[in-house]
Amino acid sequence: MKIKLKFLTLTFISLFFSKLVFAETAPGFNSWDDVVKAADGGQVNVYMWGGSDAINGFVDDFYGVPLKEKYNITLNRVPLKGTVDAVNQVLSEKEAGVTGDNGNIDLIWINGENFWTLKQANLLYGPFAAGLPNSEFVAWDNPAVNLDFGRPVEGMESPWSSAQFHFMYDSARNNYDDMPRSYAELSNWIAENPGRFTYIRPGKGGFVGTRFVKQIFFELSGGHAQWVGPFNQELYDKWAPEVWKLLNSWEKDLWRGGETYPKDNAEMHSLFANGEVDLDFTQSPRGAGPTNTAGTTPPTSRAFAFYENMIGDFNYWAIPYNAPNKAAALVYANLVLEPELQAAQVQPANGFCCGWGISTAKVTDAAGKAAIAEAQNNLGDAAEDQDILAKALVSDIAAEYQDLIEADWEANVLLK
Amino acid sequence: MGGERLKIILSLTPPLLIIFTLFFGGIFYGFLQSLGYQPAIGKYEINFSAYYNVMFSERYAKLFWTGLGLNLWVSFASTFLAAVFALFGALAIRKTFFAKTICNFIYSLNLPMPHLVVAVGIIFVFSQSGLLARLASQIGLIGSPGDFPVLVKDKYGLGIILAYIWKEAAFFFIILMSVLQSLGENFEELAQSLGANRWQRFRYVILPLVMPNLFSASIIVFAFSFGAYEVPALLGVIYPQMLPVMAFEFFLNPDLNARSEGMALSIIIAIIVMILVVFYFWLTQAKIRKD
Amino acid sequence: MNNNLKKINIYAIYLGAIILILPLIAFFINAFSFRWFYPQVIPKELSLQAWVRLKLIPKPGQRTFEGFIELWASNPAVIKALLNSLSIGFLVTIVSIIIALPAARVLGLLNFRFKKLIIFIMVSPTILPPIAFVLGLNINFISWGFSGNYFGVCLVHLVPIMPYVVLTMTGIFANYNPDFEHQARTLGANKTRTFLLITLPAIAPGMVVAALFAFLVSWSQYLLTFLIGAGKVMTLPLLVFSTASSGNPALTAAISIIFIFPAILILFFTSKFVSGESGATSGFGKI
Repeated sequence: MKIKLKFLTLTFISLFFSKLVFAETAPGFNSWDDVVKAADGGQVNVYMWGGSDAINGFVDDFYGVPLKEKYNITLNRVPLKGTVDAVNQVLSEKEAGVTGDNGNIDLIWINGENFWTLKQANLLYGPFAAGLPNSEFVAWDNPAVNLDFGRPVEGMESPWSSAQFHFMYDSARNNYDDMPRSYAELSNWIAENPGRFTYIRPGKGGFVGTRFVKQIFFELSGGHAQWVGPFNQELYDKWAPEVWKLLNSWEKDLWRGGETYPKDNAEMHSLFANGEVDLDFTQSPRGAGPTNTAGTTPPTSRAFAFYENMIGDFNYWAIPYNAPNKAAALVYANLVLEPELQAAQVQPANGFCCGWGISTAKVTDAAGKAAIAEAQNNLGDAAEDQDILAKALVSDIAAEYQDLIEADWEANVLLK
Repeated sequence: MGGERLKIILSLTPPLLIIFTLFFGGIFYGFLQSLGYQPAIGKYEINFSAYYNVMFSERYAKLFWTGLGLNLWVSFASTFLAAVFALFGALAIRKTFFAKTICNFIYSLNLPMPHLVVAVGIIFVFSQSGLLARLASQIGLIGSPGDFPVLVKDKYGLGIILAYIWKEAAFFFIILMSVLQSLGENFEELAQSLGANRWQRFRYVILPLVMPNLFSASIIVFAFSFGAYEVPALLGVIYPQMLPVMAFEFFLNPDLNARSEGMALSIIIAIIVMILVVFYFWLTQAKIRKD
Repeated sequence: MNNNLKKINIYAIYLGAIILILPLIAFFINAFSFRWFYPQVIPKELSLQAWVRLKLIPKPGQRTFEGFIELWASNPAVIKALLNSLSIGFLVTIVSIIIALPAARVLGLLNFRFKKLIIFIMVSPTILPPIAFVLGLNINFISWGFSGNYFGVCLVHLVPIMPYVVLTMTGIFANYNPDFEHQARTLGANKTRTFLLITLPAIAPGMVVAALFAFLVSWSQYLLTFLIGAGKVMTLPLLVFSTASSGNPALTAAISIIFIFPAILILFFTSKFVSGESGATSGFGKI
């Protein structure tokens, strides 16, 4: 009896320890080695917005090649018109009863409301983010990272890069010093330059436009702090009429008299490059750099930011519940966090759009640090002063505001 | 006799099978979804709220009815104008003249052009910063792109109409050319020898002879332009928006209620097309009987 | 007066031709330039950058024969899409003609109850918009396993193609005289020989027109391939659409040129079938 009890206790204790010591790297995988082994020889289907061939090329070259050479994984990059297309695909598959490993999508480049749609419907695989070896470089304790549009990430997505909203102008047509630095100044600028400004319409595929409008809420209401945290209907109802009033007051001086608005970045850049409007938007820490290199904006384009209320956030990779190659997806998500590759992201020569996904302070090895230092020095003169950007940085707000702003803008500004 | 019937049934089965299972099956299932019946997520009730929402709710009513108006206008205008252009082109091009083969080639060049490419091409040429605008600015007619008239991405669907005329005129052109060729010159010569002038020859000889072909072709063209997605997606504005674009955007909304509304809208589009086609048929049958 | 009218007629035709050619010119200029912004008419910077970006032409310095082969062997997206579009197009064209042939013969030569109804059903996919059926079909295809694969895309392409093929070939048979077949049979030829030596040559021109229509319809499908292919079957129209929405006109123009090239080739080779003595297109009126 006593021996049996001892035996049982020992078993329980060792099981308990093994759970701690051999905690799952990710659901279904006991260790990172298991992951790499399972992924060997397979494919990974990466679904991401395909509207920038610079980003596409970056993924193909900087991830596709090492995936093949180091891990023997074939990259299948699927370009989308909008992230919502992938979300929709997962929803359709759920509706059709596709489970296990039988889906089509391994990874989605995602954040915000799209992430929330999948997470709250339990359509994601995970939690997996903490199990990635390179997650040690991610600043998970920072609310800008562990909250996505105000919602807890809880390991169901892993960071890739970051972006901050600000503006572009053409130095051949305008001067840096004449640029407006707040919405109040912008209102004056629009009145003085009729027909030379427009903004992307807030809506599907136009989240830059939604950001542009959100920031008006911050400025008019006197501060960003009150907007952080859960959705506040009263706060919204108090300030929304003011925002619509402001936007409607611009209408007659906007491009096309405010009758129509460009629906995405592509149309916006085209208007700007062809001289139909004088200001454009960017999200890259390198300002006008990426679009100048791509040739979609004139080479004389430069960036500027308002002194306050410029929204910045992280974007991530998530894995659907029925991904066919979960191990390969984990390898990929880990690869993008590699310090040297993160540094390559930021380098102008590589044409990528956006900023750091990791916290550069957490990188300790020499090679990583050298790559980071070089990247920081190389941002180029098409970028805005990084200090100004940093001072103006505010986080994005709860996801409910997004849909509400988009619908109300349509009703109160477009259809008026 | 029985053997013949069997032969008929066997011959017709494969294409009919495809059309029934894929086409009508798809419509049927889409219809079910539009009624709210989505077993995979446990929704079993059936109601018409999606339809009501699309047409009469405060959020969508204005979008729907302006979109419908735009749709009708675009389809009628482009079908009619394409037929007219093609008719005059086919008649004019019958005589021989300098560079006829090249012109013939250029005109039929548009037939194999996919609609997508035509739409992109029209953006490149007719937009406010397009090729025509640049030529105009070179000869000093305009200053900035804002001075050039708005021809694409405009609220009257001009760009969309232009794109459809571009393609459909080629379609009509081919059909008319073959009809006119097979007719030969005999009827016309006869009428001419009887003293009819050009207009009379056209109105009473040529027109009635090409009408049947024109009618059946224009039904297809009209229905196509009414329900197609690609061209208005590229050339349209966000308000007013053509219905197929609206339906597709609803469907892509991850909110599952919106997906029902997208299905509902596409069924509504199909029903409207059906009504118009039947009406059109009835009209032309009446006219042919009169003539 | 007549002479002046004729002149105006001819000049109108010339003007029309010039306008029709403008988009092509715009495509070529865009595809071979860099930063061709307003108000440039002649581009300031000629360059092959669009083609290099599409991975169709190697970077400068690697433009040798081996360089090209190596680049294309790395399976760039454009080549993948091109091959998919071509193969799907050929496949569905052949399948649809085989399926349509017996049906068209029966519809063109015989008369029977419900014939008008059946023709109407056959034609209905051209009348009702694709969006009405493909949204509903998508869910079914996912559960049947046809979503996201080549087979599913081919299958769904058949739907818009069948009406055109059936219609065109019915027109051929409506103008066809089966007496020659009877004569051959009485002279002792069996069914296969009759078909190969009598029927086939007679309907061949119409079949070519039907094949032309079928291929072009499949070639230009966007919505169907987009939804049913689920992003895994990449065809040229998908690439054109996503590039057109991405704001880089040079890339869009380059891909568009590739997209229209085979179509123009087809036009070249079959123009003699389409431009005149074809019973196929005139058969339209008889239905």
